[in-house]
Amino acid sequence: MAVKTEPKSGITVCYIEGEIDINSSPDIKKSFDKLISKKIPKIVINLSKVTYVDSSGLATLVEILKNMKAYSGRMRLSNLSPKIKSLFEITKLERLFEIIADEEEAISTFA
Amino acid sequence: MKKSEASVFLKNRNGMAAKNLIKIPSEIKNIRKVSREILSALIDYNLDEDKRFDIRLCIEEAVRNAITHGNCSDKKRSVKVSYWVEGGQVNIEIEDEGKGFDYRIVPDPTAGGNLMKTSGRGVYLIKKLMDGVEFNETGNKVRMVKNLKIGG
Repeated sequence: MAVKTEPKSGITVCYIEGEIDINSSPDIKKSFDKLISKKIPKIVINLSKVTYVDSSGLATLVEILKNMKAYSGRMRLSNLSPKIKSLFEITKLERLFEIIADEEEAISTFA
Repeated sequence: MKKSEASVFLKNRNGMAAKNLIKIPSEIKNIRKVSREILSALIDYNLDEDKRFDIRLCIEEAVRNAITHGNCSDKKRSVKVSYWVEGGQVNIEIEDEGKGFDYRIVPDPTAGGNLMKTSGRGVYLIKKLMDGVEFNETGNKVRMVKNLKIGG
């Protein structure tokens, strides 16, 4: 699964579509590895078109966050569906991630 | 799958809960087949999206654990899944051919330093999203139960 990226106001906005699960996680991770190798400083991951996440999907997002923190990169997650947001709450991952309601607001938090 | 065909899978001639069996080789590519079949069988229950999500997630987490941890991803080993509806609940049993594990000492993935770990959330999610979870003593079989009724 390809991750689309778009620069907006100096921030790299990444769009993931479909499912983040055991099958798609390796490809998603590869896409983000490319960004991380370039030490992209600010990323918003827009999850508005993500319909399903499993524990490996959560693990992939944690790994991306860890890799970014290693070079002091900053990341926001935006546009989570209520169901997917509830998964972050159940697993207490909302303590780890900056989860913002929408993309525009997420971008503005970097100001 | 047509509605009438789906119903046949869940009741025998007397209208009692019938156990359905699926057996898969231990390969990740087989996980989705299991959740698809069970959700198709439950089509008559008109489950809302959240409940379907929860059931799918828990099936896939449990099957994946059976494949990777229980059967050590050995294609020659099988994962057996049985499912039935009884008393307004779906029961799903997943069994691997491994030696089992001590399900009582699974680390809490929400505890402090574990949050940053990239694994270990599967069993936790199953316990949180299902209405009942029970392991056999060996730890190589799990039964998960979910209420099918609205508000259940």
